[in-house]
Amino acid sequence: MKISEISGKITAFIILTILIAGFIFTLTGKKDDFSLKENRNLATFPEISFSALTDGSYGKQLNQYITDHFFRREKWVSAQADINSYTGGKIINGVYMDSNRLLDTEVSSREISKKNIEAVNKFFGNYIGTAYFTAIPTTSGIYGDKLPEYLMTNPERNQIDFLYDNLTDGIRTIDTYNILRMLSDNYIYYRNDTRLTSYGAYYVYKTVIQKLGFRPSSYDKYTINHITSDFRGNLYNRCLYNGTKSDILDIYSYSVGAEVTSCTAYCNNGMTYRKTLNDEKFLESGDMYRMYLGTEEPFIRIKTSVNNEKKLLLIKDSYADCFIQFLIQHYSEIAVISPEHMEKPLSSFINPDNYEQTLFLFGIESMDNENLFDFINK
Amino acid sequence: MTYSSLLFIYGFLPVSLVIYWITPLKLKNISLLILSMIFCIMNSLRFLEFIVIYTLINYLTGILIDRFRSRKLIQSVMLFTGIIADTIIFLMFRTDFLDIFRDRLKIPDVFFPVGVSFLTLTAISYITDIYRNCIRAEYDIIKFSLYMMMFPAIIMRPVIRYNTFRRMLNDRKITVTEIGNGLAIFVKGLTEKVIAGDTMYMLYMAVRSVDIWEMSAVNAWLGMIAYILSLYFTLAGMADMGKGIGYCFGFRFPNSFNYPIFSNSIRDFYSNWHIQVIYWFRRYILKPMYEVCGNRIYRKIIFVIAWCCIGMWYRFDINGFVWGGVIGLTLVSEKYIRQLKILKITGIIYTYLVTIIFMVFLSGENIHYSVNYLLAMLGGNGIFADSLTLYLLKYYLVLLLICTYCATGLFRNMVMRSGKNYIKYAIEIISPVVTLLMLVICTALISYTGSSELYIIRL
Repeated sequence: MKISEISGKITAFIILTILIAGFIFTLTGKKDDFSLKENRNLATFPEISFSALTDGSYGKQLNQYITDHFFRREKWVSAQADINSYTGGKIINGVYMDSNRLLDTEVSSREISKKNIEAVNKFFGNYIGTAYFTAIPTTSGIYGDKLPEYLMTNPERNQIDFLYDNLTDGIRTIDTYNILRMLSDNYIYYRNDTRLTSYGAYYVYKTVIQKLGFRPSSYDKYTINHITSDFRGNLYNRCLYNGTKSDILDIYSYSVGAEVTSCTAYCNNGMTYRKTLNDEKFLESGDMYRMYLGTEEPFIRIKTSVNNEKKLLLIKDSYADCFIQFLIQHYSEIAVISPEHMEKPLSSFINPDNYEQTLFLFGIESMDNENLFDFINK
Repeated sequence: MTYSSLLFIYGFLPVSLVIYWITPLKLKNISLLILSMIFCIMNSLRFLEFIVIYTLINYLTGILIDRFRSRKLIQSVMLFTGIIADTIIFLMFRTDFLDIFRDRLKIPDVFFPVGVSFLTLTAISYITDIYRNCIRAEYDIIKFSLYMMMFPAIIMRPVIRYNTFRRMLNDRKITVTEIGNGLAIFVKGLTEKVIAGDTMYMLYMAVRSVDIWEMSAVNAWLGMIAYILSLYFTLAGMADMGKGIGYCFGFRFPNSFNYPIFSNSIRDFYSNWHIQVIYWFRRYILKPMYEVCGNRIYRKIIFVIAWCCIGMWYRFDINGFVWGGVIGLTLVSEKYIRQLKILKITGIIYTYLVTIIFMVFLSGENIHYSVNYLLAMLGGNGIFADSLTLYLLKYYLVLLLICTYCATGLFRNMVMRSGKNYIKYAIEIISPVVTLLMLVICTALISYTGSSELYIIRL
């Protein structure tokens, strides 16, 4: 037998084994509904339907199913990130892998939705108190100079300016970009997430609370608990790249100050339940960041032991979750509204006019979701 | 479903191979046809309908032409009708003018990677060959259906003539060695598509993300080099994957590309580029027209027009026309300079530069953009290099060089010319390992999205 024949036979044997083994393991492997590492639901086995077969989506769904439940999928995806980080591609699924942090590369394609701006302006038009707006940059806004220049055609700085310029004059905008940029050598942003750390949130708080008319609590009064050092956030979920260090989640507590007396969540279906401000059971879940504020609900009412009758309406996205812990010292009641989880109008939860101050606090990345404020005015 | 998807590699391929091998000899054709139909359904039921109708039209046309062998006029009308029908279907998918048809028929976008353009060439070659008495019509509908829709050949198929196919079909042997070779070729194609093709596509897109008026000269060149490499590796990769699968089923398809990128002349380049497609145009467009016309000057004009047709086949618009036209003109004028001694040394550089420059027409959205791009390449924007250049070179240079090396065929030449046995032995020994490694890397690279569906060109 010639050596080429032997070689061919060996190839046939090896590759066929791999293909068939891949098929069998994928077929018989355990089928999870949810990926902890990627923090998303995995595809279910597609049902055959005439329409899906006709428009070609059935093949795609089946491929998605195989992909999601592929044998050792997470290992493969991490390997992909490693291969790319060596060969220089550096970008996977829109995530740029820098030596010490992950960055979102899809910043420039983001468009600040005019609909959102109009909704906020309309809200302010009907509101009798004072409204404040602060837009928080993402990691790519602060560390954008690490990204290749061609990806930064529309920097976040401009997006925030555009947003602020188009808000009605009465809305007081609070700039946090410059202070965060100044502090960029500190641990103010997670390495694997687009959002602020508690430390970063403290500086946002310090800026914001002064505008709201309070004196900020000084940093050294806080006791800081490191809850976990294994946090990997939304950017990690997209690329599963293990080359960056995992992140630390902190809780800041103010031992001599006011406390939360009650914290009630109101669901879309009318149910209410008591919750705690931080919920460590989420450390076991795919989304450790949920530890701040727990399950996301459209409306959470926080009452504190502060006796000043001051009430704040906070309309926010997840950027505010670790920020709320700092507000407790200043308000007797904080109404926290998450518009992205609302399925019925704001008025069915609260009357905004009962709150003398309203603070909009959003990551700039949420502002391109044009359905964000659909229920804020109806 | 395309070849470069997890569903295909770790689902459809192993299952269909096993099914095919355990099928008794008599039923092998039917089982392959059924598998191919399932493959089509995985793209869309509409696609199956389409390809079945397409097959039937050509099947019947073939039989009719065969039947009226004695009556030349009717036969000519039949042929003409067949070619027109095939061409209209081709145009339906390749131009936006006939969008209404596509919308009316609710045809989804998944059609494109399946190579409708190749199907047209195949069909026309079949009915023309019958008309010319080269072959008899195929009455066995299963065999003919396999010719049209066999899944190892359905995506960017090698355009083979029916008598070649029939020969393959009738004496196909499957040995373990053959399967091993086939799988190695499949993995080679996968590597070309997933690693080289896609990376070069990313590089090209990075260059293109900059406004054309601000593009620096070096970037523009990098972009075009990336484009030609991506085009080559995507087309060659798809062809190799199909060829490899064909081997596993006992079909020995020919090579579509023979390392064209570094040739000594443009003529060499295009005789190694998409070999069957270019051959098709030579045989079915150029030759009949030459037969009618003997004048040398006219023949040259016809030659250029044939190249315009090839260009239009790649891209059915003015850009494709211009691209084909300039290649045709260059080929005509190259005849006069090919004797020059200096070309023996500088031929590769000249060919490389010229082919890259011509690619501007194939790549740009419209002729206006292409001309501006060309100006940018020549430094018309007044920028030689910028920070993007540094970034691109930093991250892509190594891959660019590796891809370039792989496109040259230097490795193959080294093996073939060395004549030393130990080199051949060494390569035979490491080839299974390399194949395995490449399969693992490609699987990792497509593990997140599940498939590699970046197509730099839609054929």
